[in-house]
Amino acid sequence: MQLVTAVVKPFALDEVRAALAALGVESTTVAEVAGFGRQRGHTEVYRGADYRLDYVPKVRVEVVVEDAMAEPVVDAVVRAARTGRIGDGKVWVSRLAWAHGPDTVASEDVGGGRR
Amino acid sequence: MKLVTAIIKPFVLEDVKGALEQIGVLGMTVSEVQGYGRQKGHTEVYRGAEYSVDFVPKVRVEVVADDALAEKVVDAVIESARTGKIGDGKVWTTPVESVVRVRTGERGADAI
Repeated sequence: MQLVTAVVKPFALDEVRAALAALGVESTTVAEVAGFGRQRGHTEVYRGADYRLDYVPKVRVEVVVEDAMAEPVVDAVVRAARTGRIGDGKVWVSRLAWAHGPDTVASEDVGGGRR
Repeated sequence: MKLVTAIIKPFVLEDVKGALEQIGVLGMTVSEVQGYGRQKGHTEVYRGAEYSVDFVPKVRVEVVADDALAEKVVDAVIESARTGKIGDGKVWTTPVESVVRVRTGERGADAI
């Protein structure tokens, strides 16, 4: 199992969720976060307001998927979240020692396939 | 590459941020979280108000860094977040298999 974590612009969330749904990924965790990257202090427009803060509002999306799904999920998130402008965010993948939940229980019962 | 996650006291965030900038960390993600540790139910003073609730306000800081920098990140967070009192928080490291910068599609160390 892999944990795919994406930190993206808040307004891209709907598109990211749609892209994940198209891949059959329905279980996601979403959190409102804040952060900065190399363009620290760079102003960014969020909901029509100019933010000059160090910490820019972002959304963190977490998805636990089987190994084979990690790459497609990363590609889908990157495509859905890309605007080409600074602050599009990052996506990273971590290997999980184990996961337990509705999805994984079902997949173990049927021998490793996704629910 | 590693993901360093730190759960710290909210008021040390700026100290931690400053310490991370000094060692060359170029970005981080911050979120407001709540939690408890061994002193579950222990009261803690936060912004002048005493909290006797189980869940004490904390800040979660996440930094993706290459392996060498991750060690320094952990040390810098520990030094800058330590008050010596209960509730200083925890820091842990998770291996990261790959990183992608959304804007350009760059992967690996270039994407950090």
